[in-house]
Amino acid sequence: MKRNTFSYKVKQYLMFGGVGTFLFCAVVIVPFIYGIYLTFTSWDGVSRDKPLVGFANYAAAFKDADFWMAMGRTVIYSVFAVVFINILAFAMAYLVTSGVKGQNFFRAGFFVPNLIGGIVLGYIWKFVFNRAFVAIGNAITGGTTTSLLATPRGAMFCLIFASVWQYAGYMMLIYVAGFMSVSDSLKEAAMIDGCTPAQAMRNVTIPLMRSSFVQCIFLSITRCFVIYDVNLSLTKGEPFGESVMAAMHVYNTAFTYKRYGQGQAEALILFIVCAIIGVTQEWIGKKGEVEA
Amino acid sequence: MKKTRKVLAVLLTIILTLGLAACGGGGGSDSSGGTGDGTSITLFNSKNEIQEQFEELAKQYEEQTGVHVEVYYSQDTVSAHLATKYASKSPYTINMVDPKDIYTLGKQYGADMSGYDWVADTDYAITVDGKVLGFPTCIEARGILYNADAIKRVTGKDFDPSSINTLDDFKAFLDELVAGGMESPTAILKPDWSLAAHYLQQVYEEREDPEAFIQGLYAGEVDLMQDAKFNALMDTFDTLKAYNMFKAGAISAEDELVHQAMSEGQDAFQFGGCWEWNDILTYDYTGNIGIMPGPQNVQDAYTGMLVGGGSKYFYVDGSEYTSEADQKAAMDFLNWLATSDEGKTFVSETCGMVSPFRSNTVPCSNDIGVVVKQYVDAGKLVPNYDYDPDDHYSKLGIEMQKYLADQCTREELAAAIQNYWATTTPVEH
Amino acid sequence: MTQNEKAAAAKKRNHAIMITILIILFILFIMPFILVIINVFKDKADIVSNPLALIGAHGFTLKNFPEAMRKMDFFNVFKNSLIITVSATFLTILISSMTSFVIVRNGKWKMCTAVFALMVASMVIPFQVLMVPLVSVYGGIFNILNSRITLIFMHVGFSVSMATFMFHGAIHSTIPLELEEAALIDGCTRWQTFWKIVFPLLKPTIATVTIIDAMAFWNDYLLPSLVLTRKEIYTIPIATQQFYGTYSTDIGLVMAALLLAMLPILILYLFLQKYIVAGVTSGAVKG
Repeated sequence: MKRNTFSYKVKQYLMFGGVGTFLFCAVVIVPFIYGIYLTFTSWDGVSRDKPLVGFANYAAAFKDADFWMAMGRTVIYSVFAVVFINILAFAMAYLVTSGVKGQNFFRAGFFVPNLIGGIVLGYIWKFVFNRAFVAIGNAITGGTTTSLLATPRGAMFCLIFASVWQYAGYMMLIYVAGFMSVSDSLKEAAMIDGCTPAQAMRNVTIPLMRSSFVQCIFLSITRCFVIYDVNLSLTKGEPFGESVMAAMHVYNTAFTYKRYGQGQAEALILFIVCAIIGVTQEWIGKKGEVEA
Repeated sequence: MKKTRKVLAVLLTIILTLGLAACGGGGGSDSSGGTGDGTSITLFNSKNEIQEQFEELAKQYEEQTGVHVEVYYSQDTVSAHLATKYASKSPYTINMVDPKDIYTLGKQYGADMSGYDWVADTDYAITVDGKVLGFPTCIEARGILYNADAIKRVTGKDFDPSSINTLDDFKAFLDELVAGGMESPTAILKPDWSLAAHYLQQVYEEREDPEAFIQGLYAGEVDLMQDAKFNALMDTFDTLKAYNMFKAGAISAEDELVHQAMSEGQDAFQFGGCWEWNDILTYDYTGNIGIMPGPQNVQDAYTGMLVGGGSKYFYVDGSEYTSEADQKAAMDFLNWLATSDEGKTFVSETCGMVSPFRSNTVPCSNDIGVVVKQYVDAGKLVPNYDYDPDDHYSKLGIEMQKYLADQCTREELAAAIQNYWATTTPVEH
Repeated sequence: MTQNEKAAAAKKRNHAIMITILIILFILFIMPFILVIINVFKDKADIVSNPLALIGAHGFTLKNFPEAMRKMDFFNVFKNSLIITVSATFLTILISSMTSFVIVRNGKWKMCTAVFALMVASMVIPFQVLMVPLVSVYGGIFNILNSRITLIFMHVGFSVSMATFMFHGAIHSTIPLELEEAALIDGCTRWQTFWKIVFPLLKPTIATVTIIDAMAFWNDYLLPSLVLTRKEIYTIPIATQQFYGTYSTDIGLVMAALLLAMLPILILYLFLQKYIVAGVTSGAVKG
């Protein structure tokens, strides 16, 4: 067997990865390239003619102050959400793999938020923030409590809170799989060698779970960056349009304001920013792995 | 290992069976799902609250004529949804859109409906370049909703909306209600479409030449703080704000709460329109809700009039993606909707909408609609201005929300509105 | 107290603390879910006026269920959702585990690196960006929309990148290369090695990906709404959209539909999560 010829490589690749790559290209890459073409037109989304306008949409996107404000907000939101999601998910994964009674029951419970789609989830939290919390607040202070959703900072907090709640159980799953893949015998060996449980955790378990960390952080960053459903149903950009995240702004520009080309161009910028952050994080994760 | 294989085998069997079921169930994209003479058309309904009634009506129509009408609704934004339909070259035969879309979408894709009976029967058809493109579903009007029962409970007298003509009358009446024990007698819906597209919009509409005024705004020549109409409407808005029962959470009060308050008579007045009927009805409705013109201290030609006009227009797709026969069938259906007894009953009674057709004498089942109909018949309706830029309601909705939440002064609001118009590309029409 | 007793007492205390934390978190996590269950038995007026009350002023009602089921054409849409979710999940698992295998084990081939980078990058494309081009190509040019099979393949195409990413991590860090080399020396082909050695060892990840993807497919609204435009092939999320509106939302019906829709996934999860545990304790990784 010649393992280095080009045709061997291609054959091997196609045998295993052919179908996957084909489907991926067909539904993601092809439309994406067509989408890039559309950024050079002043298409409104429905009409027949798509007049070419060169880079005008990019110029408009760079000048669109609302877009950059939304981007800034998205970055702030993502940083907080990613940190809290991962801390909570890791802690929960640790607790439900430590052998406490009824851990399967707890795992199922933590996963429940994921069973509810983003739109409905947003409605439910809106309920809780607008009504339940206000009612409780009124009962405690005896006065008038305003909803958190009525102030820009409060709305941001609610979005972060709902996202942490939504994704922590999901990321917990990945951490659980990570904990499970670190064999008990290794930990036991470390303990026999005189490690405290905390040390065993820091020096044995966590390094071995690096790929879980890389995955979870990457996934949570990418999810948060393109948040749309929850944004729509929980805050709808309110109050005063100060909780509009990047994806929602893109959607509004393309469809509500009927500037499809500009919306698509802004989406492309959003994509590039995400890709840079994601790839950097992957790269740091990989680099650490080699050193470890 | 054995276990894995077993599980795999089971899964595979499931897949195969389901796969076969999927194929058997007809995976193909055959377009002729209809019965009768085989004509089958599609209708896009963007008024979610009448979806079920519409499906019923379509069934009736099929029984009578054999033409199958499939009624669809989408949760997505209307423009986004229609964009995907046109992108896949399979648009709906009949599309329900907002009036402003008729001038863009309808102009490009719409088929000419002139010559049909209904055209002569209404003042609300939309004609572009000599072609009749827009079929009005209903008339909708904006004003101040009132709950007469709630008022009577406090004052002990029957409420006569015509007794309130000026803002001063209104304030005095509100004080009377407060004195009578109704702590906060008004409410304001906070969504951007209500504040900007419905309330602020009146500033443009209640004047002799709205178009000239808008052009002035585009050119940056209007000083709103010096504009009598703007100040009059904002004075009224301030009054609604001052007595607002959701004052503490003016911009977080959900629409449901506002509707429930009106429906059950917890408050007496709310800015709104006849489309809110379906929402009001779902609570412990006290009865006797009506609509009256917003009282202003400026008395002019528009005093005592509601604002509104034709709403939710149908256009028939006339592009190459829809066959001539289907277009014809679609137009026949719309004509039937306007002229047949079933159609008339559907609009006025089943859906409780105000019919835009003169020949429709079926009483409206919507309490607010009944009042609106009186205003329409008396010619007391200020027409809608339909040529706002697409981002108008959301951008200025934000400014209005700030004003509602006391986050900006009237001067700042006026400046923001002027700035918006001056920096926006004018809409061609 | 002996050393052992002390340790045991400490352990017990830790255990109690852990349980307490878990219970608090648990309540926080299922609270909205409970809210759904409470409100599904109330009518709209009661839900709006007091969402926290156990029983509404109008009393206990079951009417939301039959009405939601009728409006949705429940059994039909349930069948569609099931066919699509099961097939798409199954295909995603097979296809992406294979793809990630060839990518991990041939990390030096430029082609593999390129495809993987592209997949990772694609995960951050907001779907809204692709939707119009997607229907332009598959509806406008190929005219293959309106079929469950198209939807299944599109689901696979969209999820293959993330599943590959997850399998990539798992193969990379948990499957020892030596195992495969031993199998190859024993005369297995690469194909056989993958199915007999690698795939079974991936069980925990398979279970994870299954649950994540099945859930995503089951709940997805936007893609199915673009692809399936005939009512007889609607899925549950498209069918529930009738309950939402611009001016009105019938919350009671939404809750009922939600509850009906999420039960199958909850059952799947309970079944699979046992598997995540089983996969490791009986797997070869430990040894």
